[in-house]
Amino acid sequence: MLDYQSIVDYFEKFPALIQLAWVLSALITVTIVLLTIYLKVIRSVLRKKDIEINKFKEEYEGALVEYLYADQGDDNFSQVQTAIILKLKKDVPSKSRRKIIIKILYNLMNEVSGEMSESIKTLYYETGLIDYALARLKNKNWYVIAKGIGELTRFKIEEAYVDVNHFINHKRKEIRKETQLYLVNMFRFDGLSFLNTLESPLSEWDQVQLLEALQKFDDQQICDIEPWLKSTNETVVLFALKLAQMYNQFETKDVLIELLSHKNKEIRIFVIEVLTHLYGIEAKDMLKANFNALSLEEQISFFGLLEKLVVPTDEPFVEKHLFHKNFEIQLLALKILKSINIEKFEGLSNLPAHEKSPAMLKFVKSI
Amino acid sequence: MNKQKIVLAEDNSTLSLLLKFRLEKEGYELLMAVDGKEALELVELHKPDLILTDIMMPFVSGLEVISHVRNKLSMDTPVIVFSSAGQEEMVLKAFNLGANDFMGKPFSPNELVIRVKRLLA
Repeated sequence: MLDYQSIVDYFEKFPALIQLAWVLSALITVTIVLLTIYLKVIRSVLRKKDIEINKFKEEYEGALVEYLYADQGDDNFSQVQTAIILKLKKDVPSKSRRKIIIKILYNLMNEVSGEMSESIKTLYYETGLIDYALARLKNKNWYVIAKGIGELTRFKIEEAYVDVNHFINHKRKEIRKETQLYLVNMFRFDGLSFLNTLESPLSEWDQVQLLEALQKFDDQQICDIEPWLKSTNETVVLFALKLAQMYNQFETKDVLIELLSHKNKEIRIFVIEVLTHLYGIEAKDMLKANFNALSLEEQISFFGLLEKLVVPTDEPFVEKHLFHKNFEIQLLALKILKSINIEKFEGLSNLPAHEKSPAMLKFVKSI
Repeated sequence: MNKQKIVLAEDNSTLSLLLKFRLEKEGYELLMAVDGKEALELVELHKPDLILTDIMMPFVSGLEVISHVRNKLSMDTPVIVFSSAGQEEMVLKAFNLGANDFMGKPFSPNELVIRVKRLLA
């Protein structure tokens, strides 16, 4: 039998490279064993945590249902409700339990309407959960503040306006976004008043989220958007243009026409689209007169407007651009001509081959 | 007297519990499913008098549940679907597949009870 010393002697006889390989193998084996044990421990801890979460979830779900059905229909709490509030109040200081309670309350608040939804909100106040959300707003970490605002939005806590509103020009875009959503979700179109003073850019995604929030409301009575159309913040102007388009703001036409000479090309192009949507026939002559000074994208956009708002007197202008070097403009011009003067359009087939595009004519004829 | 059976397929456990309590109080027997697959198993096993199903569920959707009940099982059990905002097209599909009624979320459990009673009268 080999004793310890003989193993060492045997090992020392190996070349250095083999020794190194053995040492490395031993190290890797030990690491694998340790990691396996660590994983097992982690899995068991997570499993225990999961069981605990499910246990509390069931307990709190039962308590919430009991609380809701124990409602007496007046402003006073029943005995059962008071007992449940006290029990939850006791559990709320624990972060993990608080998380479970908030999730359960929010999940149900989204699914039920009327008195029950209001009861859930009351429970949110009475258990002191609101204080934890408000305390988050004073945290030094931006993500904690953003989460706090998000929670106040989800539970529709209008009373937190003063605490939330001052984050509107915060340096972190995540906090700004949450604040904007809070204001719109709480105060609908009035909540958009932050646009009056917004200094930071409003990203496309922020705009989509705000529009989505606004569309959820039954009352679609929009406020005056003209100040935002005149904003020095270009993203605010773009957002206001989207509002003008979605909410058919015909009364803003004059401001829109002024925006046709905005310094930002993206805004000018979008204005033409909005004017097309709003039947802004007044803009047509102005755009026609400046047609050659417009960028190609604006020219294409203008022909889009013309396609919708064309009248027979536009024929000479359209005719002038039938053979425009840009494919889209050429196609739109042919389509417009076909719609206002079919005989002239048919007559184009007789032109010499070098002056027309037979394939395009055939295509426009077929549509 | 035998209680009328209702299969409730809803993946929000809190809402399920809330509706279970309310409908049991009205004298119905509730069979709970957390997804469409479980709902179909319960329907085949218990032949319920009414099916309440959410549209969006894991594994098998509410639409598939209605389709299976109407086309595979050839059952005319009344079906009420729950839909969320933005699922209007799904609701139309549900009606085309044979749903009898729908309730848009958020809804009032009391209103649901009225609709259930009307369908089971």
